[in-house]
Amino acid sequence: MTRFRRQLLVGGFLLALVSVLAVMVHCRFNRTLPKYACLTGWVLFAAIALLAVYNARKKIPFLPLGSSEAWMQIHVYAGFFTVVLFLIHLNFHVPTGWFEGTLAWLYVLVTASGIAGLILSRVLPRRLSTRGGEVIYEKIPAIRSDLRQQAEALVLDAETKSPVIAEFYVRQLNAFFAGPQKFWLHLLESRQPLNAVLVELEELRRYLNDQERAVLEKLAQLVRRKDGLDYHHALQTALKLWLFAHVPLTYSLLIFSLLHIVLVYAFSGGAR
Amino acid sequence: MSEQLPAPEFDSQHYERPNQKWTCGRAAEGQPCRLGPSGRGRCEATFECSPALEKKEGEAKGRWRCTRPGGACETGPFPDGTCCRPIPRCSPVATLRARRGRFTLAVVTATVAVLMILLGSPPLRTKFINPGELSTPHSGDAFAKLTGSNQVDPTCVVCHQAGALGPSGMTAAAFHASPGPFEIIQLAQARPAELTAIDESCQRCHTRHLFHQPNVVRDISCSYCHAEHHGAGPMPSTTDANCTFCHADAAVMAAAAAKGAALAPDAFRSRVRQGQNEFPTTRPASGFTQVIHRFGGDHPEFRVHADRLRDPDTLQFGHALHLTAETIPKLPNGRKLDCAFCHQPDAAGVYYRRINFEDHCRLCHSLQFDSETPGLTLPHGDPDFVSAFLHSLPKQYADFAARSGIARTEEQKEFARQKLQHLQARVASGEDFENRIFFSTATTGPATQVGTMSGATRALYPGCAYCHEVKSNPHGAPKITKPILFDRWLGHGGFNHAKHSGVACSRCHQAEKSKATADIILPAKDSCVACHSARGGVTDSCVTCHVYHSAGR
Repeated sequence: MTRFRRQLLVGGFLLALVSVLAVMVHCRFNRTLPKYACLTGWVLFAAIALLAVYNARKKIPFLPLGSSEAWMQIHVYAGFFTVVLFLIHLNFHVPTGWFEGTLAWLYVLVTASGIAGLILSRVLPRRLSTRGGEVIYEKIPAIRSDLRQQAEALVLDAETKSPVIAEFYVRQLNAFFAGPQKFWLHLLESRQPLNAVLVELEELRRYLNDQERAVLEKLAQLVRRKDGLDYHHALQTALKLWLFAHVPLTYSLLIFSLLHIVLVYAFSGGAR
Repeated sequence: MSEQLPAPEFDSQHYERPNQKWTCGRAAEGQPCRLGPSGRGRCEATFECSPALEKKEGEAKGRWRCTRPGGACETGPFPDGTCCRPIPRCSPVATLRARRGRFTLAVVTATVAVLMILLGSPPLRTKFINPGELSTPHSGDAFAKLTGSNQVDPTCVVCHQAGALGPSGMTAAAFHASPGPFEIIQLAQARPAELTAIDESCQRCHTRHLFHQPNVVRDISCSYCHAEHHGAGPMPSTTDANCTFCHADAAVMAAAAAKGAALAPDAFRSRVRQGQNEFPTTRPASGFTQVIHRFGGDHPEFRVHADRLRDPDTLQFGHALHLTAETIPKLPNGRKLDCAFCHQPDAAGVYYRRINFEDHCRLCHSLQFDSETPGLTLPHGDPDFVSAFLHSLPKQYADFAARSGIARTEEQKEFARQKLQHLQARVASGEDFENRIFFSTATTGPATQVGTMSGATRALYPGCAYCHEVKSNPHGAPKITKPILFDRWLGHGGFNHAKHSGVACSRCHQAEKSKATADIILPAKDSCVACHSARGGVTDSCVTCHVYHSAGR
């Protein structure tokens, strides 16, 4: 059994155990504790705050607060546990009212984006390693620029300058090398973008002499490398993009949660 | 297909710093400057080197030397010591991390701004923080008029004092709540259903809290049973848990019994039902303090059966006779007499209208006292009227003749004379006749001989005592005990007949076996439990039959 599988098994078992315990506690005290909703609310808020602290932990890596991996594991399983807490806090009812509805939707969106991020971070790295090569995300623009320069140099090479290849480059490949291409198709593991360009390159072959065909081969090689770069760009972008939803919505959720606490105490039975 | 991607072909000494907020604008071209942008995103590119001034001994000016990393340039510094190779300036680009930070800040700012707008405006705030629509009784015209609030623009302040406050006021109110936000331990220690400050708002209109029995040990918070903000319409029904909170607690019930024992019986006589006659039951010695968990379980048998109570009505009536006897004539429509002829539902269909002589008895019991003049009947309702009627029989016969179409006075008098003559032939005296009218219980007349058949005949009018309790009165007309007809038999529970219209009467009421008036033919609890239980599939919640708030309190 791999370490990952062992973690998954133990974590999953603990999550199931704690969830069942939480539901049992809910059934036992739901009707007997008068301030039960407040208590579950505080537990849920504490759990969400713990999840949010993970972001702060990443900003202070120099403090001896445990490994980032351990924090990530806690973040994931505690995140799933908040779903149980959330349902218990709502007493398994859909909230009504604008404020509480928005708060609930924020929680749903944060959780959904977190689950999406978890799935992406489990699936995409495996796909990237299967495809091969390692590219630092921040260097992708530079590598793309380099590939473009190589392609242009090849096309404009004075010795083998071919009007057919040059015309094709201007018409088709200039845009291809200029920036990232076909984000969604790459994310869906489609080879269609690469095959489309390669087919056109192959069709071009019959119009070329041997010297030009050698250039075409090199150009096709650059096209493959650029396509691989686009693949990395698409998958790594997806790996980073989900945080654009998860992190900001988390802050909004925390703000709404704090306001929710204030409103509950201001308007609850104990308030005057 | 695994493909080898290009290895970075940049200076290996340059490594990426994704944690920084800015990158060189020329990094995308693969030519970032060595210095990089400032922390605020400003390009700090100047020259490739800072020339160093070298002076040999004896030289006054000295010579500028190129200090470029990787080797001196060909041209070398300008005479004024400026590097001859300026680094092209760029527009630094924010890293993805920085852009996420900016986006996060924008979302947070937007969230705070939207909340400030929504909380800052009272009408918007009311709608925004309202956790759910109010029930109709707490949101209608009558409520607005009662509370002096504006129904068009309802405010929370009628019930919540914090509703009149702005964001800062609400925050202050939250911190002054009891238990407060930082008293989490007290949340777990709070007593269930105890009165809270908001109950004062309820009691401004619902003036007294003692709606229930006077032996309730402690008052329950209104909001424990009544949850507001759950949508328009009536407030949600209370749950069995609300009732069993006390009624399933043996200690609470024992305390209630002890408190009830110290109270005068009159303290419990509070039920007033307008226009309805209720069957009286005696209160148990310990009150209604039996521990109850479920209707189908330990709920006690109905009082009428548990105490074997009898109907005190003096009117003689047998359901079995009227429903099963062959001698009962058919109704004018040819149908057999059934329950529905006498028991007719009220306008709501919940209960039945009271039985009365004119609508339900006279059709058969027509009060005919003279077999030769069946159209002339005794009055009903007052023995003095009956006595007066009998003492004025000549006038009554004459009036009957007039009603029958005999116009001339002389003929009317002759008609009356003949009738009285025939009547006098059948009775010994007027006094005897009046006594028979009031006290006879005979169901058969004297023996007769018709052809070869002989036997008793059916008495046309047996006498008032046939149905009523008649007592002699030496000072006037006999006294007839007024019948007591009850409209409600279960004083502590309701019953909706309309909801049971699909069930035959005989399934619950054993009327065909009841021979005596004293029989109370209410179904026993088990008859109800057959349906109203988990096994029967029909709700058995407390509020199906009971209400918490006693009328008149």
